[in-house]
Amino acid sequence: MGTPSGHPDGTFSGVRARIKAGVTIVESIVDPLTERDRERRRVVALCAPFAALLAIAGAYPLWEVFRISVSAEQYRSVGFSLQAYRTLTTDPYYRRVAFNSLWLAGGTTLASVGLAVPITHALEKYDLPGEDVFVTLVSFPISLPGIVAAFMILVLFGNNGVLTNLVAVLTGRESIELAIAVSAPGLFVAFCYSMIPRATLILRGTYAEIDHAAEEAAQSLGATPWQTFRHVTLPQIRPGIIGALILTFRTGLAIFGTLIVIQTVVVWTLQISRELATGYDIQVAGAMATVYFFFTFAFTALGLRYTSAEVGL
Amino acid sequence: MSATLSRQFGRPVVTMTLFLVVSFLIVPVLLTFVGSFAGEWSGVLPSDFVTLRNWREVLGLTETVGSQRSMGWDSILSLGGYTLAVPSELIFSVGLALGGVLINLLVGVPIAYAVARYNFRGKEWVNAISVLPLVPGVILGVAFLRAYPTLSGTSFGLIVGYSLLKAPFMVMAVRSEFESMPLQRLEESARSLGASWPRTFLTVIVPNAKSGIISGAIICWTLAAAEFNFSYIVWAKGTQPLALFLQRHISNSSFTKAAAAVSMFFCIIVAITVLLQQVGSRGFDTRG
Repeated sequence: MGTPSGHPDGTFSGVRARIKAGVTIVESIVDPLTERDRERRRVVALCAPFAALLAIAGAYPLWEVFRISVSAEQYRSVGFSLQAYRTLTTDPYYRRVAFNSLWLAGGTTLASVGLAVPITHALEKYDLPGEDVFVTLVSFPISLPGIVAAFMILVLFGNNGVLTNLVAVLTGRESIELAIAVSAPGLFVAFCYSMIPRATLILRGTYAEIDHAAEEAAQSLGATPWQTFRHVTLPQIRPGIIGALILTFRTGLAIFGTLIVIQTVVVWTLQISRELATGYDIQVAGAMATVYFFFTFAFTALGLRYTSAEVGL
Repeated sequence: MSATLSRQFGRPVVTMTLFLVVSFLIVPVLLTFVGSFAGEWSGVLPSDFVTLRNWREVLGLTETVGSQRSMGWDSILSLGGYTLAVPSELIFSVGLALGGVLINLLVGVPIAYAVARYNFRGKEWVNAISVLPLVPGVILGVAFLRAYPTLSGTSFGLIVGYSLLKAPFMVMAVRSEFESMPLQRLEESARSLGASWPRTFLTVIVPNAKSGIISGAIICWTLAAAEFNFSYIVWAKGTQPLALFLQRHISNSSFTKAAAAVSMFFCIIVAITVLLQQVGSRGFDTRG
């Protein structure tokens, strides 16, 4: 990590801050005089294992990927060439892939967070019987990988799917015509299957911190439930919602397993694996990985910097 | 929205949304589980109950061929004529995930303590870096292939990759536990009784955060055992991680057999979830 590596990202600033702090306390680490120095030494010691893993498993591999993406040769990191990036920016195919990624992740993020708000509201505000069970059930899909989420969608909407066949029986049409699992809408639903539980999880943390007294006051002053939500609850959960939007969008962009099962829309992650599978074009794959990395870093950093978003996941 | 509308329909609509979404999430899980015991699933609902054939085939208890191949079995223990054999994909993933958890414990617990206990410059950055996934599995996979060409496909490469990908969950679980503890008081009491700082950390602080650490370990284990994206990119040959085994069945096997493979995975997750609740943790909660 000693190199001023190509990750002007979260890692970089954090590491730089840590290195900078480290330089100023080198003497005090060796021979701490004050309690403050000792405390610094402890913080450095506590962060060191994580920093080591981040450097070995994260920063160095990503640096190598960046190097090969700007290399003049295809399989060795030498010289400098922006050929791979030129391909990405000029070839309309990649523009379409990027566009697919953005609308799919963006649309499913809005849908998932939009559904997560009423779900969390019901779980946290209403005294529903068996509330714990609901919480467990909503959280369950978090542990399911994307391939399993895709299979769940096949079970519901596939050629053989339950809902597909149900509609087919009711309307008398062919189930093949009705199956939507392997289509863009099916993929959209499959993304939501993975993202709704995560969005709900994040929002539950926000709801737990709401000031109930203000809501009760609004109610007793005659506000309707909707007015109370709109003017009292919503302003309080807004940072949580923005945080949930940012993190769910990150999740949506990262989805890959689902696409291996339902290969109808080519998005960025799927295209990266295809670059390797067909012809092993590590340069373009590397450039795509680099672009992805900078993009997610930029919008996360901007999102956290210029909004009051809270991040927990 | 008019006052009466909101009073009359607000709560029913919100509750209905909850029910519908929970059904959407859980009904296919139940159907899959039920379907895994069916001989046939081509109509609206699976039929030809009850057969254990799918499960036997998936678990490798019945001979199968080709891409429908099932789990192999490794004998791990021979004792007095009895051999304890385990499905190799399953035990392979269990081992890989355990290795990842071990690394997570070593890197996650200390940094969670640093963030929860001390104030220092750049704390927000350290916090953000430790709880946000650095890159998704696919991209880390590509990076590993490039940086460690020979190592990436090995068990060790998989373990290191898993540990980086799942570290945020460990940090979050442990941090929220730490934040609920009177850290400064604990530390100062132990120190004033003569314990050195490393000893205080290892013998007072860490044991007190046991439940958070255990739940973090369980969460990381579950997620690492099911990790697909990274494994898919870097895995080269030999025994497949569990998620690749699942994908092979979902893509190639008959519907009922894929259902059995996925159900087997559900059983693991349910067992883990029950375990988590036994530990009394706040599980996937993100904030303390």
